[in-house]
Amino acid sequence: MRMRAVVALGATLTLAAVLSACSSGSDTAGGSQTVNWWTWDDKQAAAYKTCAADFEKANPGTTVKISQYNVDDYFTKLTAGFVAGSAPDAFQNSVQFFQAYAGQNQLLPMDDFIAKDKFDLSRFSVGVNAWKFTDGKQYALPLDWAAAGLYYDQDALTKAGYSKADVESVTWNPDDGGEFGKMIAHLTVDEKGRRGDEPGFDKGHVKTFGFGQIAAKDFIGQTSWSPFASSTGWRLGDKESWPTVFNYGDPRLVKTLKWARSLTEKGYAPKLGEFTSSVSDVDLLSSHRVAMEIGGSWSASTFAKIPGVKTGIAAPPYGPDGKTRAVMSNSNGNNIWAGTKHPELTWKWVSYMGSEACQSKASRTGTFFPSIPASMDAATKALAADGVDLSVFTSMLKDKVLYPSPVYGNGAAVQDALNPLFEGYFAGQKDDSVFADMEKQSKTLLAKN
Amino acid sequence: MVVTSQGSHTTPVAPPSGAAGTGATTASSSPKTRETRGPLKVRKNTGGRRPGRVTATRSAAARRRDLPVALLLILPAVVGFAIFYAYPTLRGIYLGFTEFHVLTPPRWVGLANFREMAGDGVFWHSLLVTLWFVALSVVFGTLISLVTAVVLHRVTDSSLLRGVMLLPFLISNVIAALVWQWMLDPHLGVVNIVLDHLIGHPVLFLGSGPWAIPSLAAISVWKWMGYYSLLIFAGLQTIPSTIYEAGRVDGASEFQMFRRLTVPLLRPILVMVVVLTVINAFQVFDIVAVTTRGGPANASNVLQMYIYDKAFRQFDFGYAATMSLALFALLITVTFTQLRLARADESDLN
Repeated sequence: MRMRAVVALGATLTLAAVLSACSSGSDTAGGSQTVNWWTWDDKQAAAYKTCAADFEKANPGTTVKISQYNVDDYFTKLTAGFVAGSAPDAFQNSVQFFQAYAGQNQLLPMDDFIAKDKFDLSRFSVGVNAWKFTDGKQYALPLDWAAAGLYYDQDALTKAGYSKADVESVTWNPDDGGEFGKMIAHLTVDEKGRRGDEPGFDKGHVKTFGFGQIAAKDFIGQTSWSPFASSTGWRLGDKESWPTVFNYGDPRLVKTLKWARSLTEKGYAPKLGEFTSSVSDVDLLSSHRVAMEIGGSWSASTFAKIPGVKTGIAAPPYGPDGKTRAVMSNSNGNNIWAGTKHPELTWKWVSYMGSEACQSKASRTGTFFPSIPASMDAATKALAADGVDLSVFTSMLKDKVLYPSPVYGNGAAVQDALNPLFEGYFAGQKDDSVFADMEKQSKTLLAKN
Repeated sequence: MVVTSQGSHTTPVAPPSGAAGTGATTASSSPKTRETRGPLKVRKNTGGRRPGRVTATRSAAARRRDLPVALLLILPAVVGFAIFYAYPTLRGIYLGFTEFHVLTPPRWVGLANFREMAGDGVFWHSLLVTLWFVALSVVFGTLISLVTAVVLHRVTDSSLLRGVMLLPFLISNVIAALVWQWMLDPHLGVVNIVLDHLIGHPVLFLGSGPWAIPSLAAISVWKWMGYYSLLIFAGLQTIPSTIYEAGRVDGASEFQMFRRLTVPLLRPILVMVVVLTVINAFQVFDIVAVTTRGGPANASNVLQMYIYDKAFRQFDFGYAATMSLALFALLITVTFTQLRLARADESDLN
């Protein structure tokens, strides 16, 4: 009896040992090594798998494991990984969390590798400076870049009597919206077919809004009010890197936000909360609830492929001076975890991802814009063959319309403090005094690095 | 207690005066009873009577023998309690006095977090929002559950119907919240489609400040109603039917009997239900997290949501632990006061 128990115990232990040996991976056994890479974007995960295959072929005995986690859980899981020692060797990161991770020594500076390999950072046209920390070191290679564009329903535009050229040259000002404001009013149609600028328009029963969700709780406004405010010369931070305050009290921004709120009050744009967060900007255009809206460049191919709707893309309107366009662009970065067991190999993979060969291949899927101009051209060409015209974004890049989004610290706290204030303003619960409050809060939180 | 000690007191005397017919059985069973009832006798017979002393030493020896086994048997429970309850509680209290961002070791800051909390407008706002949610869900939750249980008890015997009442409780909070979010959607939701026909415009149930908390409370009440009804229903079954017969003989109407008989006699159960709803409502998190995430403009930012955001979004674990401590203290006070005020440990039935 006792003998049998001992044998059973022994067998169980052996089995457990075998199992744990299997699950801990083969990266230590037989010279083969695994590099783990994480992203929150399922499409990029699929796109970079082609690069991973090439990398494995060029480096025999190496396995690249790409994992994707939903953006809602991604950063929590990443932090848990840092604590538990199970974080990926390298990962996609957003500038919002750059300071938090770098400040707590979780990221590996890349300067030594860059110097040793003579890796030329000038190959990237955007995003390099966004990943320079306060200590002056480079902590990531830019993975991509993104901007905002104006998406519109071509049929709705034609019915309202506008041409493609009209949208491309339209001007806007924060006082009355200018030509663009008139265009929005005319594109709005109520359930009885009356347009927004016609007598008897019923703002309580709008069938198609002239403009999308400009009243958003997002404190940066990248895909809502930011392109408008930027065209007046306004910028979010007092300086590009590590700003000490966000300029919410600037009269140019205040006027822009007032104009944005007036659109929702007149029924030209949906009110905050009118559509739940599960309804995306693509859904709004494809269901004809909206005739025109600002959207992210990352959605360009999705917009272009909406069945039954002919979508046009234009650059956001010119500002009050009739010739200035300014759109914020941001770049995600490719970080290496400070706790990685194979820093050399991980750098090899990260630098390969930052090469023209990999970027051109992965970006053909049109799910992101590569930071390397030659790869961007290749992606543009490949997508043009599929009927997706990205020339609007490439010419914004070439014409210097784009300016980089600020790199700032304490991102999550800033977001959690400011978003409710924007919600309160757009819901009409807060008056103009909110702008001073926003500026004050941003100052306090940005100082808390 | 009284009865047993008297009984054991007589046992030592029993063998000499034992009935002749049952002599054999009494003789064999009495040492057994002595052994098992040992502890009682020790206390009873310390006066120095011989048989008593013998049993006392024997049982003490037996107790010593049992001690290692007893310790071994409670070990798993103690270890579990220490690892999963005592340690996290103590560490949570400790973290409340530190600055802790997970990736670097905690740094002792004394009362700084408490001072920050005192001046944190969002915290006080969250507390008010939570109290508003608690008030709504306790009042409506208890009332609706009580009425449902009484109706079930007085009107129907169908166990199928009772089972149906319990269905919402069997659904997970997250699923219930998601389904309600769809039903309350301003454009696609069935509730708003009906409302649009009745009053001409949709209502932003979860998307507008004044409506967010009442809507969430309604979802919570719907979810828990069946469970509390079942508790109250069990309480109703302990009330003897003779009381209702007496009431009927005295000519009381159904409503009078409900007010004058049912409610007073149900008091202990109702107190328990109220205490449970209060604790439950204070801890509301999942339905808020999947529907409004605290919005719009913090209108539904209940305390648990705020603590979660501080800890798991901003990684400010020290301050989050401080706020959890405040919530803990609040809950203890509220529960203790409730139990004292309502004399929940007494019943009016005897």
